[in-house]
Amino acid sequence: MSSDTLKKRKAKVIRSDGGTPENKRGRAEGEQDVRVYNEEVELEGRDPEQDYVLYKSTCEALAKLMAEIQELKANGAKEGSEEVEERRRQGCVHFVTLKKLNRLAHMRLKKGRDQTHEAKQRVDVLHLQLQNLLYEVMHLQKEIGKCLEFKSQHEEIELVSVDEFLKEAPAEISRPHLTKEDPHQLTLARLDWELEQRKRLAEQYKSSLCSKEKILKGIELKKEYLGSLQPGLQAIMQASLPVQEYLSMPFEHVQKQAEVARHLPPPLYVLFVQANAYGQAFDKNLTVSISGDVDEAKALSRPPEDSQDDESDSDAEEEQQNTKRRRATVGVQLDDKRKEMLKRHPLSLCIDLKCKGVQFYLFCVMHVNLNGVLHLFFYYLMNLNILTVKAKVSTSADLSGAISAGELLNSESLLNCLYASDHGQETPNPGNRYQFDKVGITTFADYVSELGHPYNWVQSLGGLQFFGDAPQTEGAQSSLSASHMEATMKLLRGRLQSRLALHKQFSSLEHSIVPVSSECQHLFPAKVVSRLARWTMMSYQEFMELSFVQHVVKAGLMKETDLFFMATVERGTARLQAAVVLNPRYPEITPLFSLSLLWKGERSGRTDDNLRAMESEVNVFKSELQGPRPGLQLLTNQIQRLCMCLDVYLETESQVSDGSEGPREFPREKMCLRTARGPNRLKPFKYNHPQGFFSHR
Amino acid sequence: MSVFSQSFSPCGRFLAAGNNYGEIAVFSLSAALSPDATDMSQKPILTFTAHEGPVFMLLSTDTHLLSAGNGEISAWSWVELTKRVGMNMHGHEFVYSWNNDNSLIVGGGDNNIHIMDMETGIFKSVLQGHTDYIHCLALKEREGEILSGGEDGAVRIWDSRTSQAVHCIEVFKYEECTRPQFGKWISCLATDSDWMLCGGGPSLSLWHLRSMSPTSVFPLAGCQRDAMFYQDMILAVGEGPHVSHCLLGGSVKAQIPCTSPSLNTLALNLSSTEHRVMTVAGSSDQIDVFTNFSYRAFSLSF
Repeated sequence: MSSDTLKKRKAKVIRSDGGTPENKRGRAEGEQDVRVYNEEVELEGRDPEQDYVLYKSTCEALAKLMAEIQELKANGAKEGSEEVEERRRQGCVHFVTLKKLNRLAHMRLKKGRDQTHEAKQRVDVLHLQLQNLLYEVMHLQKEIGKCLEFKSQHEEIELVSVDEFLKEAPAEISRPHLTKEDPHQLTLARLDWELEQRKRLAEQYKSSLCSKEKILKGIELKKEYLGSLQPGLQAIMQASLPVQEYLSMPFEHVQKQAEVARHLPPPLYVLFVQANAYGQAFDKNLTVSISGDVDEAKALSRPPEDSQDDESDSDAEEEQQNTKRRRATVGVQLDDKRKEMLKRHPLSLCIDLKCKGVQFYLFCVMHVNLNGVLHLFFYYLMNLNILTVKAKVSTSADLSGAISAGELLNSESLLNCLYASDHGQETPNPGNRYQFDKVGITTFADYVSELGHPYNWVQSLGGLQFFGDAPQTEGAQSSLSASHMEATMKLLRGRLQSRLALHKQFSSLEHSIVPVSSECQHLFPAKVVSRLARWTMMSYQEFMELSFVQHVVKAGLMKETDLFFMATVERGTARLQAAVVLNPRYPEITPLFSLSLLWKGERSGRTDDNLRAMESEVNVFKSELQGPRPGLQLLTNQIQRLCMCLDVYLETESQVSDGSEGPREFPREKMCLRTARGPNRLKPFKYNHPQGFFSHR
Repeated sequence: MSVFSQSFSPCGRFLAAGNNYGEIAVFSLSAALSPDATDMSQKPILTFTAHEGPVFMLLSTDTHLLSAGNGEISAWSWVELTKRVGMNMHGHEFVYSWNNDNSLIVGGGDNNIHIMDMETGIFKSVLQGHTDYIHCLALKEREGEILSGGEDGAVRIWDSRTSQAVHCIEVFKYEECTRPQFGKWISCLATDSDWMLCGGGPSLSLWHLRSMSPTSVFPLAGCQRDAMFYQDMILAVGEGPHVSHCLLGGSVKAQIPCTSPSLNTLALNLSSTEHRVMTVAGSSDQIDVFTNFSYRAFSLSF
């Protein structure tokens, strides 16, 4: 059977060589249908157990045969003997059976394997399906989980509340019939409504952005327009300056000043404001201006580190330079420190006080109008915190011609003692004492001529108040107020006027003419024979050396700050010397005369009661002698009265020294009621006006 | 200021002084002389204005202070000094006065001497004769004679009862006394019964009244304005800052310096024993007080 199958297979193969593969296959299949020996089918019919038994029996038979062969061979059988051959043939048959059995076994194995494989495949497929399904399940579960967890963005959107929504939304969106039952629909509707609203708002936003852009553009345009106006306005301002001046409303000037004034140090600023206010309110003849370097002032107000660095740098440079020549001495360094301490602020204030014309009866001939301007320059000493002032007088007419008047308008002493004992030689700030000690300045008076005078009234005007050593007995210096400014300005003006008046009077006095104005003519008789021979100025030392003034010195009625003059009145052989002490506050304080007569011996006010009476006539009666306000004729009237009294004195002296009753040197011309009165036989020095006679007081 | 007149109170404890401004100041001598006197006690305890013009004369009666000013005499009660008690207008430039019993002898600027009854205030008589104003008066009580010296240089002696001039001495006509460089006026008179002291323009001289001749002339420079007899000395003040002590023989014993450059008045407080002082005043506001007449003790200031 096996060889049949082999043959059939071989026959299959041979037959199929000639045909196409497909055909082969087809034919093979067909042939299979027709004459295929399917061993596999046979296999299914056979029982494995039987096969096993067969196998075993075959093996036994084979073994038996072999043994027989063996025996035969052993017995000497020949090769090819029939028995052997028979046995061989049987053995071969048995081998063939074994082969078939082996083949069957293999086929069974293969079949079994195939079945197993198939089953396994089926299982695998199912397993795979299971896996897929499980996987899908898991996936779905995850998805479900995700879906359940999913927070829809719509929950974050703050929706309008349901009621509002139902009220506001239009029907097509809210669809109340649907949404009332269905929350999902409700939410959807609400979202729709939200979207609708947002769209509307977005549109509004866009439109308002647009309008904003437009408005911004409009603003830009207008700004440009305004910017273009600025130069035009400047031009107009410039052009209007002459008009401003004409109308005396200097707005531009005032603005510029205000601009600069911002950089003034505080005391000067206070002074500036107060002076301006005073000038505008009361006094049209007062002008305020600021001068100095504004940039430097700005530099001062910047933080000091820059300047300190600069200083140290420059110091280093200087030192390097100096090593070549000479090191700066200690004195020079101290000098620099002093200069630093006494430094002034770069800005200064200038106040101009105009004086109305002061009339003078000049040379008894003409009235002269003298306009003067008092320039006051105020400086601020930064480290010492005091204000100083320098004064200068400028006049419309020329003031030359009076030698003795040299001191009157001297800027150093012009403002001396404006208030009693305000000398302006020492700094009013007590704290400066310590600063001075550090840099070795002993007296501030040395620097006063350069830096200006630190009068107390200047500090008050600037709002600086210092506590003085002496208790305040000299009058209120308490708070700064407008009346302080007013009083000081009045004093300044009065001071300038009196000085100018004195100046003119002195030039006249030096020409031996005593100017008496028409208002004061009634004080004197028509004819005064004694005349002023000389009018000179004296120094303080010269005054102190005079013998007949010691009573004034002892009584403390003069100070070193006063001005001293000597008037000489002559008549015939008689010479009257009058030493005059002129207080800087003339005409508030009467000039003080001390007399000494040289006529037949020397007499003075101490020895002669009549001279003493003359001194009192001249010194005491200020109210009579000062003339019309503001009393600037006091000095000249005093001198004229002195001449008149000398006339009376000489004419009423009836004695002649050599005893004879010869002609008198001075005939009696003055009308006197009585030439002597009282135990000391005083002469009549009082002149009575319209009657023209002299009487005793 | 010039102080022209002084007068001590009746009790001797106060001094009244009059100055050229018409003010009268009263000083308390007891306070000024006490051991614990301070500066304040040298100031007046009372000052009041008596007249418009200078107070040329002050005179104390037992109860009143009489002051003579510019043309008027006022009486002030010592008890209450600021109250003017009586006033007598005389209408002349200045007046001098002297007291005798109850009559006031007043020498005025009208060149006459008037005698006024103090009780009634009526002028009893007028003594005429001077040709210029009267500087000073002196009284010889025993004989009832009035001596007057004036600007005209004459010393006239009047009998007060008969109101007649008895003598007239023109001092400047005597060679020993005359000092023409000063003038002829007589500004001080003092009398001590037989003796008369007079001075002014002419030198201060001592006269014997019986013989009407100068017995000694005192060599004092300057014109003397007030003089008096004291014990056996003569005290004189005038131009020059000193009090002159002179002896009757005509020599100047001492000249005590004072504060005022010239002196107008000299007063001695004889009515009180505790406050026996001499005070002088003149052309300043200081009244020098001498407790011992040889030196100045202190000064009151007016």
